[in-house]
Amino acid sequence: MNGFTRHGLGRRGFLRSLAAGTVLVPALASRMAAETAGGAVGGLAARPPLKAPKAKRVIFLYMSGGVSHVESWDPKPALTRDHGKTVSVDEFQGRKGDFKMFAKRPQWAFRPHGRCGTEVSELFPHMAGCVDELCVIRSMVSDHTNHYEATLGIHTGSFTFARPSLGSWVSYGLGTENRNLPSFVVIAPRNPYAGGQVWASDFLPAEHQGTLVVPGAEPVANLRPRVVPGRQEAELEALARMNRRHLGLRADDPALAARMRSFETAFGMQMEMPDVFDLSRETDATLRLYGLERGSTKGFAWQCLVARRLAERGVRFVELIDVGSSDNWDAHGDMETHRPLARNVDQAIAGLLKDLRSRGMLDDTLVVWTTEFGRTPFNAAADAKGREHHHWVFSSWLAGAGVRAGSVHGSSDEHGIRPARDRVHVHDLHATILHLMGMDHELLTFRHAGRDFRLTDVAGEVVKGVLA
Amino acid sequence: MKGARRKGRLLGWGRWFLGLACGAAGLCGVVHAEEPKLPADHVNWLGRATHKGQVTDADRGWWSFRPLARVTPPKVRDEAWVRTPVDRFVLAAMEAKGVRPAPEAPARTLARRAALDVTGLPPSPEDVEAFERDGAPDAWGRWVARLLASPAHGERWARHWLDVARFAESSGFEHDYDRPNAFHYRDFVIRAFNADLPFDDFVRWQLAGDEHDAGNPMAMMATGFLGAGVFPTQITANEVERTRYDAMDDMLATTGTAFLGLTVGCARCHDHKFDPIPARDYYRLLSTFTTTVRAEVDVDMDPEGYRGAKAIHDAERRPLEEALRRYEATVLPGRLDAWVASGGPARLAESAWELVVPTEAKSQAGATLRPLGDGSFLAEGKNGDTDRYTFVSRTDARGVRALRVEALAHPSMTRGGPGRADNGNIGLSRVRAWVRPASGGEKREVVFGKAWATFEQNAGGLSVKSALDGERTTGWAVDPKFGEDHAAVFELAEPVGFEGGTEWEVRLEFELNTRHNIGRPRLSLGRGGELALKGAVMPGPVAEALAALRAGRGLDAGARAALMAWWRVEDPGWREASDRLEAHVKAAPKPSTTKVLACAEGYPAVRMHTQGGDFLEATHFLRRGSTEQKDGVATPGLLSVLLRAPEDRWTWRPPEGARHTGRRRTLAAWLTDADQGAGHLVARVIVNRVWQQHFGTGLVATPNDFGTQGARPTHPELLDWLAGELVRGGWRLKPLHRLILESATYRQSAALDAMKRAADPSNALWSRWTPRRLEAEALRDAMLAASGVLDPAMYGRGTLDPATRRRSVYLTVKRSQLVGDMVAFDAPEPLTSQARRPVTTVAPQALLIMNGPHVRSWAEAMARRAGAGRDADEAVARRLYGLALGRDPTAREQAAALAYVRGRGASDGGARARAWADVGQVIFGLDEFAYLE
Repeated sequence: MNGFTRHGLGRRGFLRSLAAGTVLVPALASRMAAETAGGAVGGLAARPPLKAPKAKRVIFLYMSGGVSHVESWDPKPALTRDHGKTVSVDEFQGRKGDFKMFAKRPQWAFRPHGRCGTEVSELFPHMAGCVDELCVIRSMVSDHTNHYEATLGIHTGSFTFARPSLGSWVSYGLGTENRNLPSFVVIAPRNPYAGGQVWASDFLPAEHQGTLVVPGAEPVANLRPRVVPGRQEAELEALARMNRRHLGLRADDPALAARMRSFETAFGMQMEMPDVFDLSRETDATLRLYGLERGSTKGFAWQCLVARRLAERGVRFVELIDVGSSDNWDAHGDMETHRPLARNVDQAIAGLLKDLRSRGMLDDTLVVWTTEFGRTPFNAAADAKGREHHHWVFSSWLAGAGVRAGSVHGSSDEHGIRPARDRVHVHDLHATILHLMGMDHELLTFRHAGRDFRLTDVAGEVVKGVLA
Repeated sequence: MKGARRKGRLLGWGRWFLGLACGAAGLCGVVHAEEPKLPADHVNWLGRATHKGQVTDADRGWWSFRPLARVTPPKVRDEAWVRTPVDRFVLAAMEAKGVRPAPEAPARTLARRAALDVTGLPPSPEDVEAFERDGAPDAWGRWVARLLASPAHGERWARHWLDVARFAESSGFEHDYDRPNAFHYRDFVIRAFNADLPFDDFVRWQLAGDEHDAGNPMAMMATGFLGAGVFPTQITANEVERTRYDAMDDMLATTGTAFLGLTVGCARCHDHKFDPIPARDYYRLLSTFTTTVRAEVDVDMDPEGYRGAKAIHDAERRPLEEALRRYEATVLPGRLDAWVASGGPARLAESAWELVVPTEAKSQAGATLRPLGDGSFLAEGKNGDTDRYTFVSRTDARGVRALRVEALAHPSMTRGGPGRADNGNIGLSRVRAWVRPASGGEKREVVFGKAWATFEQNAGGLSVKSALDGERTTGWAVDPKFGEDHAAVFELAEPVGFEGGTEWEVRLEFELNTRHNIGRPRLSLGRGGELALKGAVMPGPVAEALAALRAGRGLDAGARAALMAWWRVEDPGWREASDRLEAHVKAAPKPSTTKVLACAEGYPAVRMHTQGGDFLEATHFLRRGSTEQKDGVATPGLLSVLLRAPEDRWTWRPPEGARHTGRRRTLAAWLTDADQGAGHLVARVIVNRVWQQHFGTGLVATPNDFGTQGARPTHPELLDWLAGELVRGGWRLKPLHRLILESATYRQSAALDAMKRAADPSNALWSRWTPRRLEAEALRDAMLAASGVLDPAMYGRGTLDPATRRRSVYLTVKRSQLVGDMVAFDAPEPLTSQARRPVTTVAPQALLIMNGPHVRSWAEAMARRAGAGRDADEAVARRLYGLALGRDPTAREQAAALAYVRGRGASDGGARARAWADVGQVIFGLDEFAYLE
């Protein structure tokens, strides 16, 4: 309610009594709506988690298209050794059979980094410098070989149907700490595979839907108030009052309640969002840290810096998408296309980690880096320059609150084809993220169509090995 | 959101189909999917033990593949509730579960509900009031009929179908070229819905309008359906094949989802995982589109009008023709005799040049060489990078000493020519000629000696002589003398001509520069006299006739006719009669053709900096969808699981010489055959779409997936009965709308009590009205309409400008620049068929209502329309509510509004008008305004 109280009860009370002749509305729309939202836990009001949380918020870094694990976080000397030799696999691109494939050596060399000595490739020199903050998971597993399904899976836990996004679940579970901003913000230059389903709240109440911010001169449209806040507030008061009559007719409709709340959030966003995007008071040193040119509103560096500013302001879940459903990490043709993409994200992410650390925010912020799947360590042709989709195993990492920093969890086999040890399925990753946020993935449910749904469906286990 | 920010590649180049085509299977999950509904044997069709790519009777037993059940609307206990047979099905199910229907919604609510639903526009306050007062039993029926008859109905429902058809007016990918003539497809859909075009014709025309009735503009416009998908630009040679398969896949996948509700596209890489669609069926269906291309076709938008005008014109031409014929028969011979008698032939100087009148004129690159009547040919159409023209002719002339090649100017060429190069130049790299006796015998090449020309670009490699040097890289060119007639004379080393006639073959080669082809060539052969560059030409028989006359010999009938045909232009009387006829012919009515983006066969394809052919000669079976792994040629076929007769039952063979193959028409025939083909499924799918748009959810909740992964119908008998009614009623949709709109089911209120919530939580029994937010277009249109600023102009090219006051259906859909105001309210990205839009509720929508500049201007217009600043406050409040919500404000609302305006301290008229605009904008933000109640 920050946005509303800030402008004084006096005028509002005055308007209310003047407009209605009496105090008709005991509170603003948000409060009454909160009572009506479906489910055990509703509304955006901040709620304490079940258990003491390690993390209060999440910054989710999603690399779209499939980053090659064997060229980034998972060193495979055997691939170099066996380059050009055949390996036998029993499935290729979703087709069962006996396939003879040619091993392909990584294009970037690996070296140990930091005190922990975790090996990282030269693809990510800046992130390599932060390796003591990271817990690299080298045994990630997804269920699907297509972008669409795998992208849906890493975001919603469902590989086939639309389901609420991870960010929506977190918002639903914990609410927001700043009513002037959405609890779930997505910053993406372009639509990802599966489009808005990636941040949809689906059957969860609509206020948990991710709000899209697009890098550029006007990241959120229509943000500039048309009238002075006082007058607009009066209008919104009127809107709330008139809608309430309507809502009263259908007290069960969460969509209407969410709609009222969207106006309230919009009102708050007008005041707070311009400040989020105003990077003028960031120091040169901070901009340098992220590799962001002053005045630029483009690139992953801008996304990362804005993510920090949103996190500072209490946004519960920030997702950054690099870059969308095209011109992305999907390097079928040539692994060299990883190089400019890495350049765009590497320093920015390292800068974000350092910045969060120096501000003390890494202690209660969870940072997740992932992609939808890896890339084949082998190819159908010996001279292929690119790599295909590979969901059997890939790499992700966690950093920040509650994470065992400077560690590696799980491993893939000799050639990086299948997990060798401590397999971590997408459901397990989701369960772990919820756990770090103080929630139990088996208890965070929502009743829909006659059954209790959860993010992890009927699977998922908290990965103890990544916890500090 | 600003559209520009959405720029960029929409789809990756790399195997986008893997993410998209198979992804379509996931799209069916956009809706809230219920629990898995698969019978045990259908869990995985691909994984079944019996599966060998063969479709079995068990597969045909899936509910949506079965024939329509013969259903009688059931009996119900509460007969009084029933208004149309629809209600029997709905009520019977409710009664079985002990659920009561919701009470009827108030008249005003109903009036507004149906108006927004059917036309996408709120009703006027006067109409609502009249409807409420109208107590006649048929008042509702008349209200519904009137809405369905409104032209706004087509605009509203076209938008629903355009989602299904993934309609857009640009090609997508990073260049996203515009398709400026794609809007005709949208116009077709609007007209079709307004005219209640039977749905089977609607299907037939979209798939094969050109094959059904190429003269019908509606049928041609309809074919835009197939071509509405994305298509990349700047395709390199090695991408041509894959791109073509992608384009055909888009046609097939969209056809499959839109009409059959089946994710046929999922069988591209492998047999369909869940539905009985073998990859074999996929490729046979795919080959239907082998030769189908996107083409800009000149369509006569008013063929009737043209036919009428043409008939009148033809009738008027006949007397003129008759006059000329009579003059030629009765007057002209005497005139010719007088001319001859007066010594005319002797006065005419002997010409050196005899016109070559070819029996054959050919362009190697495929240009059309059209004779212009003066001995010259105009090269049209295909303009090859290089070309060779060949002219074959016969002459009796002997002693031919030279060949003259004229390159004549013509306004159709750049700068008037004489060449077809981008700058108008020519580049005659070589001239060759062969002769042989007309009676037969060996052909031998003529040897040229000297050559000279009116002008040559230089004395070296671009001189006329260099056209004889055998070098491809040198030849005759004329830059910068454009727009003029040029000529070159090539002298023969020795005279040529055989007793009894000579056959000449002359070849002009243009290989020295790109497209430097002579645009209007004329050839003549020189005998006696001066071999002048500009000397007149005379056909051989005329020259001979004149020579005979000069020698005092008589003429036979043929020679006399040839001479008369040549000489008659000298006669003023003939010229007058001829000019009159010519002027009339020139004024002939022309069809009012318009360029329409069609998708058809036999027309030149739209090309976008692409290499390679427009289509592949054959469609192959591909293993794993890879063009590297071809597995034989796929001949056209249909879906095995939807065949109840041999395939050839539907095969349609076009007449001899047709430009199309009949393949798409065959497909359409099968799709619309409800007895033996797939028509029963097509009927179910469209009935379900109609139900979905009326109620927000379909009887089948997955409107684009009637396969085993889709939802089951809540009321299968009702679905089959409605589908049967549709087919029995001649596939007309408006009666179907009426069955639904006039039902008691539709007229229920949204009231929900605890009992109902428990018994029918998700409203699967349709035991109440489920309110839903208006789509982006309807919301915007409703604001425009309530403000009274809506521009009702229908049809035609749209605009990208969100400030337009036309209906939102006329907002141009440019894939990289989707209109932000539409996207904010969930307008979809038109990449694949969209069955059902998501409904999000996010703050940017509220920001648009609160701060959007257009919304404000409409609120101001609405306030003005309501009399703000002019009328008494009470009247303004009433009028505002009436315009926007179709009802009066409650006492409390009225008081609140008045208090707000007065509280703003608005003493002068301007400030008061602004305050009322505030109220108007608040009303735009109300749930009641945005929701279909």
